[in-house]
Amino acid sequence: MTFIQTSPVSHAQHHAHPVMGSLHGMEIALEFGTPASQQAQAAVAGVAEFSAFTRFAVKGAGAAEWLGAQGMELPAAANSWLMQDSTLVLRLGNSEYLLEDQFVAGHASRLAQGSAPVGAKLYPVARSDAALVLSGQHALSILAEICALDVAAELANNQRLLMTQVANISVTLLSQTLNGKTLYRLWCDGTYGPYLWHELTAMAQEFGGGPVGLSFYFK
Amino acid sequence: MSKRLPQRASEWLKRDKPISFYFEGQKYQAYEGDTISSALWAAGETVLGRSFKYHRPRGVLSLANHDVNVMLADGTDTNMRGDVLPVQDGMQLTVVNTDGGVKNDKKRFIDAISSILPVGFYYKAFHTPRSLFPFWENIIRKSAGLGVVNFNYPRDLKRKLHTHCDLLIIGAGPTGLTAALMAAPHGLNIIVVDENAQAGGSLSYDMGGSDESAKRLAELLAELAKYPNVTLRTGGYAAGYYTDHLIPIVETTGITKVRAKAVIVASGAFEQPPVFRNNDLPGVMLATAAQRLLARYATKPCESAVVFAANKQGYRAAMDLLDAGVTVKAIVDLRAEGEPCSLVDAIKSRGVAIYNGACVYEVLPAANKFGVKGAVICSYDEASAKPLLHDRFTIACDGIIMSAGWAPAAALLYQAGTAMRYEKSAEQFVPAKLPAGMFAAGKVNGIFDLAQRLQDGARAASEALAYLGKQVPTVTVDRDYIASPSHPYPMVEHPKGKNFVDFDEDISIKDFVHAAQEGFDNIELMKRFTTVGMGPSQGKHSNMNAIRILARIRQLPVERIGTTTARPFFHPTPIGHLAGRGLHPHRLTTLHGWHEAHGAEFTDVGVWQRPAWYRRAGLEKQQAIYEEALAVRKAAGMIDVGTLGKLEVRGPDAAEFLERFYTGSFKTQKIGRTRYALLLDEAGVMVDDGIACRIAEDYFYITASTTNAAAVYREMQRWLQIWQLDVGLVNVTGAYGGINLAGPAARGILSKLTLRPLDDASLPFGAVCDTEIAGVPARLIRVGFVSDLAFEMHVPAGSTQHVWNALLENGVAEGLRPFGTDTQRLLRLEMGNHLIGQDTDGLTQPFEAGSDGAIQFAKPFFIGQRSLQIIARKPLNKRLVPFTLSEGYQGETINECNLVIGTDGNIKGRVTSIAFSPTVGRFIGFAYVDPANVAEGAAFNIRTDSGSLVMARVAATPFVQLQSEA
Repeated sequence: MTFIQTSPVSHAQHHAHPVMGSLHGMEIALEFGTPASQQAQAAVAGVAEFSAFTRFAVKGAGAAEWLGAQGMELPAAANSWLMQDSTLVLRLGNSEYLLEDQFVAGHASRLAQGSAPVGAKLYPVARSDAALVLSGQHALSILAEICALDVAAELANNQRLLMTQVANISVTLLSQTLNGKTLYRLWCDGTYGPYLWHELTAMAQEFGGGPVGLSFYFK
Repeated sequence: MSKRLPQRASEWLKRDKPISFYFEGQKYQAYEGDTISSALWAAGETVLGRSFKYHRPRGVLSLANHDVNVMLADGTDTNMRGDVLPVQDGMQLTVVNTDGGVKNDKKRFIDAISSILPVGFYYKAFHTPRSLFPFWENIIRKSAGLGVVNFNYPRDLKRKLHTHCDLLIIGAGPTGLTAALMAAPHGLNIIVVDENAQAGGSLSYDMGGSDESAKRLAELLAELAKYPNVTLRTGGYAAGYYTDHLIPIVETTGITKVRAKAVIVASGAFEQPPVFRNNDLPGVMLATAAQRLLARYATKPCESAVVFAANKQGYRAAMDLLDAGVTVKAIVDLRAEGEPCSLVDAIKSRGVAIYNGACVYEVLPAANKFGVKGAVICSYDEASAKPLLHDRFTIACDGIIMSAGWAPAAALLYQAGTAMRYEKSAEQFVPAKLPAGMFAAGKVNGIFDLAQRLQDGARAASEALAYLGKQVPTVTVDRDYIASPSHPYPMVEHPKGKNFVDFDEDISIKDFVHAAQEGFDNIELMKRFTTVGMGPSQGKHSNMNAIRILARIRQLPVERIGTTTARPFFHPTPIGHLAGRGLHPHRLTTLHGWHEAHGAEFTDVGVWQRPAWYRRAGLEKQQAIYEEALAVRKAAGMIDVGTLGKLEVRGPDAAEFLERFYTGSFKTQKIGRTRYALLLDEAGVMVDDGIACRIAEDYFYITASTTNAAAVYREMQRWLQIWQLDVGLVNVTGAYGGINLAGPAARGILSKLTLRPLDDASLPFGAVCDTEIAGVPARLIRVGFVSDLAFEMHVPAGSTQHVWNALLENGVAEGLRPFGTDTQRLLRLEMGNHLIGQDTDGLTQPFEAGSDGAIQFAKPFFIGQRSLQIIARKPLNKRLVPFTLSEGYQGETINECNLVIGTDGNIKGRVTSIAFSPTVGRFIGFAYVDPANVAEGAAFNIRTDSGSLVMARVAATPFVQLQSEA
């Protein structure tokens, strides 16, 4: 039986009547307006959802060794990330790793489709993240209102990630360059996704921005 | 008569932008840059407000954000401070706290009867006879408070932002600006904040008869402008100090929380008024207020002035008055030796008489007390603090300019934990030991001479730079006082009183004497009895004088009296600023949209929003709930339980971990089986419960209650750190959705969607297995919370909607309906299952709740075990029992928390749950009762809200017939 998964954020997006599409088995918002309006919103303060990307996560003292044996390069320091091929590899704390494919299938899909990880001190982590993107000239202004950290300074090292509170919920936050633009990527528990989407888009709209579909970033 | 002066170099007015506004119904002209008070004063208005208690006319006092008797409303906003709020074109202003307008306030009669209304009178009066208290209460409540709350106040978002800097400098006066200039070349990110509309502090108004201040200010600002790494923020006050140098800055647009690596407090000092009869009349003002009017707003404070001084500031103000064309009739100096500075000769040379060792005995009011018509002067004995009336004489004048001393603006220093000491040579509290990373400079540090203040700013900057790891030379400052900037006791007694210490609350010297006589002779007690410092200005111009008065009453040095506690926020801040955006995180399951589309009424359960019940056409809430419950009893119902906590415990020590964490036994648990998991705290109190599913030898899947999941997971992490077992914990609460399918038709419906056999032999009660449901990988658990035939399915969150839809499609024909949490509570009650948090409280232990069977005392250890062993040796005080009311009961509604009353009339317990069960046909519930009265059928009384007693009987559970017995 085949079916389409629900995005954790979709409930919060319906009122904006996005054009929906399927990616990696999940229904996701592709467009919230014309290409021109999407570009304008993304440039000012855009909020997009990347939840449909495939993720794979393990934790435990044996996680690094197991991932290495699967051919993964791992960030040397805690709370940092690297890109291997088209897969984002996040090291969350000392011994937890999150792999996320970027639009196209990559290592996360490969490992997710393989047999369950087995090993000493190795624990698979089921995830259902709301993965959001904040872009535009006012992105840091928005983060300054909802995050107590000095995000620009903390992420001055491009390979650093933050595990912190944004809008009073726990998120993982990093800055990433996509299509030549700096974006802020946020991952939170999917059940908080509608809340975070609502707050981010409301703030973006105050700056003249708003929601942006996935198609704006990936044609 | 207009008091506006020709354009001055120092003024803040934009003469090319005239505006008009209304005050108490009358139109006035002003310039952009005026405050409301400066505009009115320039227009010749002297009565700008009324005092809080006696409704005395009040004018300008400080012009520094402390003129709390000039509170205004503009139709939307209220309690706006006229002395600092910029006037705007078209404003329609009225004075708060008047009855009939500011000039004809009907409540001014209270001033005439003030002698019968001393401080504390309301503590003693009105209590007897008690029957009259509501009458007095009504009057007092109507009289109390300032302004009228506007319940239609528009929601105006005030952002709360975070920002960060290396060095935060509080105060953009000469000291703060010098500190910034000293630090700026080192490339630090520096923020300088000042509450005034423009930078400069005293340099912007304290001219002292020369242009040195203005020149110095221009130089400082020009130099600072060269540094892009310095941000100057005016119009914002540093409102408090929090740990690790977190300081909120309040501005009109919102609050910015500044996290600084180091902080220099150069916040200056509040000028303190001398105390003498009628020192509150319009026209009597602080020297710095007069100087602000002159320099910033080009407005004369009066035409002919008497300066009442006890320090150099009074003489500097006199020079400014003379330069502006004000006639200075005399300087009355409280000090016998007078002022030693060179200004004395310059003032004398301009024909001003100076009286040393003299005081203003009283101010003579103009008609209606709307102003000043003269001052009575006499000699003053500093030693006894007594006026000597033998030589008194009167000087005609329309203004009294007063300057007697200062109080440091040290609130943030206190909040940061600074140890203060009393510097006798300055008659002021100054920092003795500052916390790491905090530095104080200038007047707040007890240094008043301008050159020394500049040097002190440089000194503080050098220390801050060194703290931040910069190599800088040491800067030192000598405290050199030719004369103390503050008088040790600037009080003039008068038999008729009205010599005000606290202008917020109309407190005069005699009130302190009375308070001390009544035993309130500690500064904190005196504060509360007299309410000194408890008004809107929070004692900024009264606390220091109150301390001096109490010190003299008790014959103690000032430092022995101490100060009152300085709490954040330093200044009244609008609620809207504190509220900010109002972020309220909440969690939704992926089924939320479906629930919403199908008529769910939501309820908050912890941070979750859950359907409480579903609206049905033609049915009231209660009837809809009954129908949902009956569907579960007669066919099938399903509920979204994705909110349940879902925790994975993995590793070789997983069973050992649970053995210690929960009260039950898990080492012997078979794979594929579940066990009840009860969590206690270390005091033996019931915290949470759930089920533990053994998936593999080294893998348990635990459920926790919706509201406690996060706390349970935190506790697991904490105990794992302590026990150091070989276990990995994973919180998968959000990763999986959950659906509970219950009722006699549940098995048949589910069997259409899975190949897994569901009969009792294959999947008995308490079994767990991993399977597929509607093509989705699922964990399937036989549970019994709401029905003994129920299946709980945990599936990946994104697939939950698909499974939910599949169940509905296959179950509607068999009567399947969704139900919400209100129905769930009724169903579990019918099953006789108590609910932790509902049927227990923060003190309930398992013996009281009847959960003895869940305790495995034989284990070596579990959390709360030792406490339970102690508790077990003591007699029970109460016991939770199921009960029913009599069949057909239609009496008064019994509510949760109604008390259980024993035959002796004493309270024995309380009702924790009660509901009418349509299946049972009567009211059922749980209640705590006398432990000696728990046998099935035993009767007990419940006292209703009205006080009547209703009999209930202990019952057996489950209240409903089980499916397995049907």
